[in-house]
This record gives sequence, structure tokens and C-alpha cells, in this order.
Amino acid sequence: MTEVTYTEEEKKKILEQLSKKTWKIPELAKVIQMDKAKVKKIVQDLIDQGIAAYWSSGSTTYVATKAYVQELEKKRAQG
Amino acid sequence: MSETPLVDELEKGPWPSFVKEIKKTAENMEKRAAQGMDIKLPKTARALLKQLEISYKDKKTHWKHGGIVSVVGYGGGVIGRYSDLGDKIPEIEHFHTMRINMPTGWFYTTKALRGLCDVWEKWGSGLTNMHGSTGDIIFLGTRSEYLQPCFEDLGNLEIPFDLGGSGSAIRTPSACMGPALCEFACYDTLDLCYELTMTFQNELHRPMYPYKFKFKCSGCPNDCVAAKARADFAIIGNWKDEIKVDQEAVKEYAKWMDIENEVVKLCPTKAISWNGRELKIDAKNCVHCMHCINKMPKALKPGDERGATILIGGKAPFVEGAVIGWVMIPFIEIKKPYEEIKEIATRTLEWWDEEGKFRERLAELIWRKGVREYLKVIGKDVDVRIVKAPRNNPFMFFKKEELRPSPYIEELKKRGMF
Repeated sequence: MTEVTYTEEEKKKILEQLSKKTWKIPELAKVIQMDKAKVKKIVQDLIDQGIAAYWSSGSTTYVATKAYVQELEKKRAQG
Repeated sequence: MSETPLVDELEKGPWPSFVKEIKKTAENMEKRAAQGMDIKLPKTARALLKQLEISYKDKKTHWKHGGIVSVVGYGGGVIGRYSDLGDKIPEIEHFHTMRINMPTGWFYTTKALRGLCDVWEKWGSGLTNMHGSTGDIIFLGTRSEYLQPCFEDLGNLEIPFDLGGSGSAIRTPSACMGPALCEFACYDTLDLCYELTMTFQNELHRPMYPYKFKFKCSGCPNDCVAAKARADFAIIGNWKDEIKVDQEAVKEYAKWMDIENEVVKLCPTKAISWNGRELKIDAKNCVHCMHCINKMPKALKPGDERGATILIGGKAPFVEGAVIGWVMIPFIEIKKPYEEIKEIATRTLEWWDEEGKFRERLAELIWRKGVREYLKVIGKDVDVRIVKAPRNNPFMFFKKEELRPSPYIEELKKRGMF
């Protein structure tokens, strides 16, 4: 399998979207018109760096920035 | 007066009661905490009963489903759950579920079980579910801040455990007990399941797919893990040659069993004959339903040329309806290191990942794109045994140009009627 590479510009573009809401990867790839494999790679790297995080309903998984997810969780915990 | 009169009703009667079990756990957790043991959530099991009581009164759930999956590096294995009664019952404000990857075939030593329970009593409510429908060990009820230390403690046990799958990922592969316990096993389900688990670790822990994807390994067509109904990728043990018949053992059965009525007449394809001295099976008509083998296990055994059938697409009703897996590979040899199966699985996953819509399972994608395309993806030819339902409608459709023109239609065309 060929290694997926990306630019800082592309990473920034994704990060910007991840700070707005929780995303499904295919949806995110469609909105920013980027190859899904590339989006996955960038998101995975952002998660490894602790910048992005998963949010799961149990059956379906979404991604967003860690800050966004933490804020969302705080709201949910408070009701 | 009990705090939970409605819930207490469920303790009555001779049958097992989850309320009794929750109460037992609550007492145990409170006792251990009073003894000075390091127990972080001694009152959560009791609080669960209080919330249930309120839900029964209000006739609605007080759970909020979903949340963060906060184990470092993982995206699955934890199902977030919060209560909207956090202000009234703070002990149950967070009640996350952890899915723990079970040992293949669900074999445990008591030491392994003790280790699991010790960790869970320290970091969770003490309530467990052995096992969830996918097969995982389910730990019920902990707080967000205890997920990581609990996960680390599980990994540091002498017999360590890892989280299982959840969300849009490969779910924890499961297998029947196979050759460890069953003479019908046509391949080593335990080993293949372990190999698949290890091969797809990244896909199991890091959810990036359109939806869930399940592998299940059954050793024979009895399909004790119900792979064909529940797994997108079911590997069901099978054999190519004839059922092995021990005529002497058949005669032993004949002494007390009505072979004609209990076996011969119940064969779905009438492939068996019995003349009182000899049992014959017409292998060409045998559909491997296992009925005769199950009835006379000492006399009949699966054949020697053993392997598996791969069924694709089994799933529950959500989105487009339930599907019983379709035979895609009628027979495949199952040999370590299982390269062929892994290759087929990898190609399947890549195709589904690329083409699948949100929450579209593999069966629904095949419905949408066609079996022909899927077979191209996995590099297999069409086989007459690929049918949508047994002895029913053909599943493989031909392209228009491949069809021989119908003389009837041609005649209608000539007459300008078509």
C-alpha cells in the first residue's frame, strides 16, 4: 500500500473543520473535497498528537478537536 | 420501606433476577469499601437501582447515550453513557460501559477471571455482563476519569486483557470453541480468530469505517456462534468429501433409535437411505445441514477434506433489513498463516471503506453495487452455489449482452409489439 502524505495546509484545513463540529470521516472528506485516505491519515495523526479525539455513540464514531469534544461532554454531563 | 419498590417486584418468582444480582453486587461493593479496600465507586450499583426505580415511575429512560472514548490511542471499546439524574443521584452521573476483548472461545482460568474482577471492583461499579452479544466481556458503569487507569490495570494483569471493538470499526472477532471442545470442528476456529484479531488490531481500535464490521468463526455448519446471521464475514467450517459413516456404530444406534423417522425422513434433501443393516448417504445431494451427524455423533462425522465456507453480509435489521449471510466462497482451505482469508478480508474492507455510505453494512453495499462487482474485488469467479436464498431465486444476474436473444421477444419485435 502506498504511503499517504499531506501538506501542513491540508492539515490546517481539516483542523479548522474539526473545531466546528463532530464529523464522520467520509462526510468531512466530501465537504473539504479531499481524498478520504488523506483525511483519515491527517485525522489519525491529529489524534495521535492529542489534538483531535473520537466521539462515539456506541455504534457510530465521529471525530472533532479534543477541545470541542471536551466541551460537548461537559454540556452532556451537565444535562 | 424499600427505596425501590417497583424494581423489587422483579425479584419475585423462581427465575433469575437481574435486580437480585445488582443488589448482591451493591452489598459486596459497600462491604469491601467499608473494609478499607481501594474501591472508587462503592455506591454506583445501588444508585443504578434508584435510577431504574425513577425510570419505572416516569416511564422513560434517564440515560444519555454516547460520549468520548478516552483511552489514549483508542477510538473504540468504551460506550459513553450519562444520566440526566446526576443532580439527584450523583453516583450515577457517569455510567460508561467498557467492552473487553474476551479470550477466543470464552475459555478462562479462575485466575484470569479474578484479575478482571479485581480491576473492575477497583475502578467500576463491580457490575459485569458475561458476555455481550458480540462476545465481549462487558464492564458496566464507570466514570470518565477512571477509564484510562482501568484500561492500564487490565493491561498490567498477569493475564492481560485489551479493549474490544465498538463504533464504526471492526468489532471484536469471535469464534466457537472449535477443536478445543468439539469433534465436528473442520478447522481451528480459535487460532484463526486470534490471528484475525491480531491482524486487524488497528482497524479494531481505530474506527474509521462507514459502520461496524464483524468477523465470526464457526467450526462446522452447526454454526454455534450464529456467524451466518450476525457476521459481515462469516467463516463456517465445512467439508468437501462425503460424511464418514461407521456402520457398526450406526447399528448400535439402531438398537434404541428410530433411524428411519428420526434421521432418514428428516433429511432435507432425502439423501439418506437405511435398510436396517446399512446407512447410505448420497453425498451429491447432501447439503451439510448436520442433522444426521448431530443425531448420531458416534456414527457419523464430517468428511476428511475439511475447510470452510465464507458467507458475506449477515446482519441485523437496521437500515435495510436483516440478512442471513450469502455464500460467496463455497469452499476454502483454512491453513496457517491464513494468507488467503486475510487477503479476501482486506480487499473486502478496502472496497467497503471506499464505496460504503454512512451506516451502510457490507450486505447493503453488495445489494447496491451487485455481487458481480464484489466478486471482482475479491478476485473470485461466479459459482452456481452463490444464491440469494437456498433453492430459490438466482443471485447472479447476467449483463444484457451476455443473454441469448429470446425467440419470443424477437418475434414480438418483428411484429412491432415490443
